[in-house]
Amino acid sequence: MSRYRRLLHIAPRRLRERHGHEMEALLLDRLNEARRRGRLAVIAVWMRAAVDIAASIPREMVYRWRQRGRVGVRPERRAFMFSSDIRYAWRSLNHQRFASVLVVVMLALGIGATVAVFSLVNGLFLRPLPFPEADRLVYINETAPKWNLEMTGINYHDFAQWHRDQKVFDAIALWDTRSFNVATESGADRMNGAGVTADFLKVLRIEPLLGRMFTPEEDRPNGPLVTLIGEALWHERFGGRADVLGRELKLNSRSHTIIGVLPKAAEFPAGARLWVPVQGNPNADEQNYNKDGIGRLKPGVTIAQANADLVRTQQVIFDTRDKERVVTPFARDLRTQFTRDYSMIASTLSVAVALLLIVACANVAALMLARALARRREVGIRLAVGASRARLLRQLLVENVILSVIGGAAGLALGQWAMQLLVSALPDQAPQWATFALDWRMVAFTLATSMATAVLFGWAPALHALNADVRGAMSTATAGSTAPVRGRRTLHALLVAEFALASMMFVCGGLLVRAYDRVRNTDPGFNPTNVLTFTASVPTTKYTDEPAQRAFFARLKERLIALPGVTNVGSTSCAPVSGCHWGVFYTVEGAPPRAADEPRPVVLNVVASHDYFAAIGMRLKEGHFFDERDGTEERTAEGTIIVNETFAKNFWPNGESPLGKRVRPGSRFPWQRIVGVVHDVKHYGLERDMRPNAFVPNPRMQRSSLTFVVRASSDPAALGPEVRQILRELDPEVPAYDLRSMEERLQRSNALRAAYSWMLAVFAGMALLLALGGSYGVTSYLVSQRSRELGIRVALGARSGDIATAVMKGSLAVVLAGVVIGVGGALGAGRLLSSLLFGVPPYDAVILITAAVALFGTACLANWLPARRAARIDPMVSLRSE
Amino acid sequence: MKTRDYLILLALAEADLHGLGIARAVQELTGGQTRLWPVQLYGTLDTLESAGLIEELDDPRQRPLDESEKKRFYRLTRSGHRALAAETDRLAALVKVAKSRLKPRTGGAA
Repeated sequence: MSRYRRLLHIAPRRLRERHGHEMEALLLDRLNEARRRGRLAVIAVWMRAAVDIAASIPREMVYRWRQRGRVGVRPERRAFMFSSDIRYAWRSLNHQRFASVLVVVMLALGIGATVAVFSLVNGLFLRPLPFPEADRLVYINETAPKWNLEMTGINYHDFAQWHRDQKVFDAIALWDTRSFNVATESGADRMNGAGVTADFLKVLRIEPLLGRMFTPEEDRPNGPLVTLIGEALWHERFGGRADVLGRELKLNSRSHTIIGVLPKAAEFPAGARLWVPVQGNPNADEQNYNKDGIGRLKPGVTIAQANADLVRTQQVIFDTRDKERVVTPFARDLRTQFTRDYSMIASTLSVAVALLLIVACANVAALMLARALARRREVGIRLAVGASRARLLRQLLVENVILSVIGGAAGLALGQWAMQLLVSALPDQAPQWATFALDWRMVAFTLATSMATAVLFGWAPALHALNADVRGAMSTATAGSTAPVRGRRTLHALLVAEFALASMMFVCGGLLVRAYDRVRNTDPGFNPTNVLTFTASVPTTKYTDEPAQRAFFARLKERLIALPGVTNVGSTSCAPVSGCHWGVFYTVEGAPPRAADEPRPVVLNVVASHDYFAAIGMRLKEGHFFDERDGTEERTAEGTIIVNETFAKNFWPNGESPLGKRVRPGSRFPWQRIVGVVHDVKHYGLERDMRPNAFVPNPRMQRSSLTFVVRASSDPAALGPEVRQILRELDPEVPAYDLRSMEERLQRSNALRAAYSWMLAVFAGMALLLALGGSYGVTSYLVSQRSRELGIRVALGARSGDIATAVMKGSLAVVLAGVVIGVGGALGAGRLLSSLLFGVPPYDAVILITAAVALFGTACLANWLPARRAARIDPMVSLRSE
Repeated sequence: MKTRDYLILLALAEADLHGLGIARAVQELTGGQTRLWPVQLYGTLDTLESAGLIEELDDPRQRPLDESEKKRFYRLTRSGHRALAAETDRLAALVKVAKSRLKPRTGGAA
């Protein structure tokens, strides 16, 4: 029963004092009754009783509010005392203005970094997606482990099967990204759009702003040419007028009827400005895997159930077309799909920033403790004249909260600013729907962090204040005497922790920067300097046959090579690191057919003009590049082909030379003889593994869209306007798009790694600075407190060198302990990071030694100043000063 | 009037009771449906007392003989009685209306 009595202390005192015994009796009655019904009933009674007590708190507040003015002056007096606390705290903070500003700056740095990282996490993982009930949205794709492909893209025929048969989705839809030449009065713009199936808006649960979505009837092969435009395009092109419906818009030189306008929220996939129906043929049995899927689960359906249902509907295809079960559909959470690349980075940064915040807090704690120790005489006096310890503690708490709130506000501003910098450094890496603006979550988080820091850095001084004793403080707290042992020990412990964490971060930051450096210096397999790339697509309605297309591109090339400073021009279907991929299966002449479960490598198929290799600066390993004659033969005749090293290794694992061997992309095609082997080009980015790669000569395979590679003798950026001008002159409906230098492309593909590596390096630098500042501050304080002792030692004959050594020895031992612990910890942390390290070993000796030397060396410098000050102590002055 | 207040007044209308007695009586009145919990019950008793609807028995002679002296007994005041009667009338009128509306309907929507 005593338990209940203790619980009752939460209830209003009035009731407790008047009815306490009877309340217990009533509960006992309830408990006796419950015991007959078993243990669960007893627990229920206890819970109900707790609720009963808790519910009395708000009631009591209302009661007191009604009784105000009748009972006495207590509430007013309390408020008065609180405001006096604030005033007093402010005065004491103002008194030591330098230290206070220092504390606020340190807190702002720590909190600012935390806020920046949190806003990243918030934008990517916490903020809801801009669709209603987004937690029911799933991403759908197909996987083919046998082709060594995690995601193949969706085959329309498969999708049609799921669409007919599935039972767990409200709706499913397909999308693919496309880009269109959109006609303007003076020429054409290139715009990103998407092909989507009819259920697209039903899945996202979005209504058109204007007009309607296309119907399933319009989403059939040879259906009408209709399009929906995005809100932004509607305002830009049509001034937001309602009569846009029914108008014609020329996409790729074909007239499309505008039937609707979609709101900004529908901007999916990212960057899409207009949408057209996919108009796929469900009956065509094509091996074309190039679309993405999205679905809305019925309420209560799990992702596992969705997966099972998709595989069930796929059974028909397993029975007929895909007897080897190579391609299997799967569904996963939409957000997980889009944030996959970020989760490891986000957690690494979160840990780093938490460590930084702890270092900042330890630093502030050391500073505040030093201040509290210096103030112990004042504390002693206040205790002696009757201040209660609780009051002193509250005073301290108010000071800390003021500091951390100011630090928090500054940190929030700083974090926002840092976040803007970071986001602008990542032009197209972050998902489009992720926004990083200030929201209530961030404000709440900052507030909580500030309060947590107040507690974190406040505990040491607070404990000290609680342990203060009047007599001790009064008798020893004379100027220039040494601090109490326990206070000094806490100071040292804080410093050790700071240096340990700082050196850990230093090592991890160093590892990541080194990994970034290694990635950046990876050989891309071609020469990216002074190369400009852009893409041009000719409308197939105007350039209907291949000769017409070829003639246009030939004229374009002629004009480009005539530009001053241009040395080589080549064209390709797909330039490196531009995000394109066209996978094809090749078979080798005379090779035994592959077993059913043997993996089949997907080959990156690239169409290239004969001068492409020289223009991009690829290197030949064996054989020769194409010349003008390659690819001009009859389509049914034997052709020529160039492959890369990985291709050679994959198909001739015994190291045979592939030169002269014949391959083809399927039995319908004639054989193609390998005439050259080139070094691998890092097509998918410097960090990714390269697939087998085959180059087909351009005339043999004509494309309506080609990427031109222009090599210049100097910086190619100046060529941009001239390229656009040439195209405008040749055909105003063919714009140059995706115009950028090859170096910029490479840089963009590394932007994410660059951003997080440097972020961690900056955090490490900040931690180092904080640790140094802390070490300097603490040593200075200890020296100033020891001036009497040191003065006596000098008076007794110690030389200034001895004094300096003594001071240095004490502080450096602390630093050394911290660094040793930290480097040890870094060895473990590095292993956790290894997936981000791109092959840099976590125990990289250079970095470990650099970190240890840097930290220890700078700590020596930081302690040198106070040590020198100590060495110059004049015993006459320091002993007389009392 | 809150249901809880009404039930407590109703319990006290039969006999003068202490807190535990009231809790038991209310549970009985409602067929075990309503259980009053300590803080809630005694808080309500204080409120009713300060509103003048019930009062504490302070003369020990009025206490039932078999009960210990620690417990506080309450009884209905005159105004408590009136309040109970008024609330009962209100409820009765409501019940009458409710019953007429809950009659099985004949002949479609009326």
